[in-house]
Amino acid sequence: MKEGLLIILSLIALTSLCDTINQLFLKSAIDSLNFSLTFNIIKIFKFILQLLIKPRLWLGFVFSVISLCIWLLVLSKADLNFAFSADSMHYIFIALASRFILKEKITSLRWLGTGLIIVGIIFVSLS
Amino acid sequence: MFKKKVTLRILLLLITSDILETAIQFFFKKSALAQAEFAVFDLGSVVVFLKAVFCSPFLWAGLFTVAAVFIIWSAILSKIDLSVAVPIASFSYILVPIVSIIFLHEKITVLRWLGIFFILAGVILVSLSSKERMAEGK
Repeated sequence: MKEGLLIILSLIALTSLCDTINQLFLKSAIDSLNFSLTFNIIKIFKFILQLLIKPRLWLGFVFSVISLCIWLLVLSKADLNFAFSADSMHYIFIALASRFILKEKITSLRWLGTGLIIVGIIFVSLS
Repeated sequence: MFKKKVTLRILLLLITSDILETAIQFFFKKSALAQAEFAVFDLGSVVVFLKAVFCSPFLWAGLFTVAAVFIIWSAILSKIDLSVAVPIASFSYILVPIVSIIFLHEKITVLRWLGIFFILAGVILVSLSSKERMAEGK
């Protein structure tokens, strides 16, 4: 498996990236609706209905299907415990996308956590 | 407005979601074994592989479980904060390797366990920081 390690890691990065893109589309579709948290069932139902007719939601869905397909490729080639651990790299992409695309403020605690995840992935990949 | 109180019922829901998350990965792994030999860079053989996988009942069991976890998570998050829920739910990072050892006969070195614990610690810090961010009023 060693010589294929780089290919596997790239594929995991690709599935994480597709996941992140899906999250961004989902977030953008939800934000465009101005929904405030409520327990009113009718309002929640209306919100979901409005969400379902957003093209962005379906664009995100396409990416999540691509992500699943790549994930299945990864699982057929790599050990489950390795792939599952390495898949935590989506936390890195989410942090970067939140910071640079959504312009959210990332606290130092979150950067520290993201750093620990990177160290963990390196250890898992080296072993 | 923080929802922090983890009742026994929520704890049970969180443990259930951990177990189901692990089951999802196990099902997907099983379905991926349906077609062992193919080349990643040959589109034709990738299509053959995906066709075989999507015919596997394990894949559909996995997707069904994904839907179940989604519903359970919606219930959990209506009761407690994400910053409280995620650290408890992150035990699938330990559960998946354990299932891999027992049911898939995979081997895990000490260095890999160390990496897994680093990732777990990182995930917990990231989820705790979501509380910090909300406390700042943003």
